[in-house]
Amino acid sequence: MSAVFAYAWRNLARNRRRTAIAMSAVALSTAMIVLAVALIDGMIGGAVGNATNLVVGEVQIHAVDYVEERSFYDALDDPAHVLAGARERGVAASARSYGYGLVAREVKSAGALFWGVVPSDEIAAFDLAHHVADGSGRFLDSKPERKLVLGRKLARTLGAEVGSEIVVVVQAADGSLGNELFSVAGVLKAVGDSVDRSAAIMHADDFRELFVSDGRVHEVAFNTRGAIDLAELERFASTLAPDADVRSWRTILPMLSDMLSLADGAMWVLGAVFFTAAGLGVMNTMLMATYERMREFGVLKALGATPWRIVRDVATEALLLSVAGTVVGLIVGLLGAHILQIYGIDTSTFAGETSFAGVAFDPIWRATPNYYAAARAAAVMCAVAVITSLYPAILAARLRPIEAMRRV
Amino acid sequence: MARTTIATAAILMASLAIPITQHATVLASDDVAHAATKTGSATDDREATDLSAREILDRVDDMFRGTSSVGEAEMTIATEHWTRTLSLAFWTHGKEKSLFRILSPKKEKGTATLKVDADLWNYLPKVNRVIKLPSSMMSASWMGSHFSNDDLVKESRMAEDYDFEISFNGLRDEVELIEITCIPKENAAVVWGKVEVTVQRKTYLPISVVYYDEDLTLVRTMTYSDVRELGGRMLPATITIVPREKPQESTRVSYATMDFDIAHGDDLFSLRSLQE
Repeated sequence: MSAVFAYAWRNLARNRRRTAIAMSAVALSTAMIVLAVALIDGMIGGAVGNATNLVVGEVQIHAVDYVEERSFYDALDDPAHVLAGARERGVAASARSYGYGLVAREVKSAGALFWGVVPSDEIAAFDLAHHVADGSGRFLDSKPERKLVLGRKLARTLGAEVGSEIVVVVQAADGSLGNELFSVAGVLKAVGDSVDRSAAIMHADDFRELFVSDGRVHEVAFNTRGAIDLAELERFASTLAPDADVRSWRTILPMLSDMLSLADGAMWVLGAVFFTAAGLGVMNTMLMATYERMREFGVLKALGATPWRIVRDVATEALLLSVAGTVVGLIVGLLGAHILQIYGIDTSTFAGETSFAGVAFDPIWRATPNYYAAARAAAVMCAVAVITSLYPAILAARLRPIEAMRRV
Repeated sequence: MARTTIATAAILMASLAIPITQHATVLASDDVAHAATKTGSATDDREATDLSAREILDRVDDMFRGTSSVGEAEMTIATEHWTRTLSLAFWTHGKEKSLFRILSPKKEKGTATLKVDADLWNYLPKVNRVIKLPSSMMSASWMGSHFSNDDLVKESRMAEDYDFEISFNGLRDEVELIEITCIPKENAAVVWGKVEVTVQRKTYLPISVVYYDEDLTLVRTMTYSDVRELGGRMLPATITIVPREKPQESTRVSYATMDFDIAHGDDLFSLRSLQE
């Protein structure tokens, strides 16, 4: 057996150029597939992380009717109990109050959705606090200082920068007109269209005073960053707030959830297309390389080689070549995936800001290397190369030597 | 959601330089002359004092209007969660300019709204700032009431923006009344799908105006009551608006005083006077 391999190896070495071309075709195709799978995985994983870690959380708790009506008066019954229960179990949680109103700066004004948050909780549970654009200030301090963090489009509408004075006008819970001067602490990066356009985030204590809100809390969001299974987390939230409306991010962001399910399916289709394309490339190369040697096979047959021997030799050569090719391809593809995991592809230059289903996508598109998927892809590539080399080999084996030798 | 066309006109604005009596007379005689040429006879069914639907709508539109007006009113807002009363002073000039200033309660005292054409500014004494209302906030509530900011700004006229016909004329609940149903013209910039104006047959003063949305669902009802003399005119001094969605809620405006055709200073409707 080892003689067969040695013979195949010698044959490959005999025509280095041909071998190099065929091998790089296999390597390139393998690398391409490995990288593509890693990028698709990265996009889907990134989308889930973006959707939940930034602000939505994995599970949200609202008063019944709040999500439909968005009424200021539909507040949670006992948010303190929910927060205490979450803390006990080590689930990071943030309580938020929401109220509509008006923000104005000089002659510009816009409608806004005010958020009252406890900055330390928000920072501990979510990434929003780190999502303040570079050079655009920072998140709220732990003390109420009449500061606002604005959504980026809202800030642009107002022409507001860090330190800008903002007049805030709201209708308070008692029907009176709440108005106050705030200043801008920071401006957020893209989060999602509604947040970008309307969010004006302030300290919970400022919110309480402005809205005469009496401590109303409209939303408690849990975020474990995947540490607790989603269904389990939902059950836990329901036991803490049995009369409340508990939803997971899959319900809150149905479009994104659907899209991810769809993307999962699309990945299979895309993978198949990639495989076909890469497989055809390899097949073509192997076909050409084998056809080129028809005369050689004719001579071999004339010298008494059996058809089986020719098929065996060609297949062995193809196997060696494609194993070497896929190994190189695997290494290159995984290396590329790791590099793209660290540095990512900056899509902002050609795609601008991308958001889908109200969730901003990180403009840096990162890959998630997947060794299992990569190995599977490499094995399939290998098989494709060997199988496609069999056809011309069988053809050659069945030719009469004189005809094979006459072929150009 | 709560926007209107004639609500503005009828309630808080004043408009059109022509005094209403003269206006009505001109139209009435026009109409009669027209009718006479058309039929070729003087045997008109209508009594001489009867007004056409158009004239009635114009009367309702112009009821509170003059070249200018000044007055004080009380606005009581009742919602599911709170009830409060604001007293306010107002000045108007034509239908283009108006100024409202809150006199009480204390928290809002001095808060003022200036309307010039289609723009609204609010002055907030607590922070001493004037803000211009963005167009996106036009459908939002004015000072927490069931009137929208749009209600203050809109300047349309019933008789021009709607096709109308008298849909009832007679006795209902022992009151002689005329009901006019108005359907907006195709290109009219109004948000309603239908408006029903009901007036007393004797005085042509409105009893109610009922607003329907484009699906012809009742949206809000405005009722007029407490007819008394205001600035030399007999007018319904109290107007109550009830939103259909929350029938237990209402906003009631009661005029305490009102004078018409007053000469205002040139800069009354300016951002400077807004802050005084």
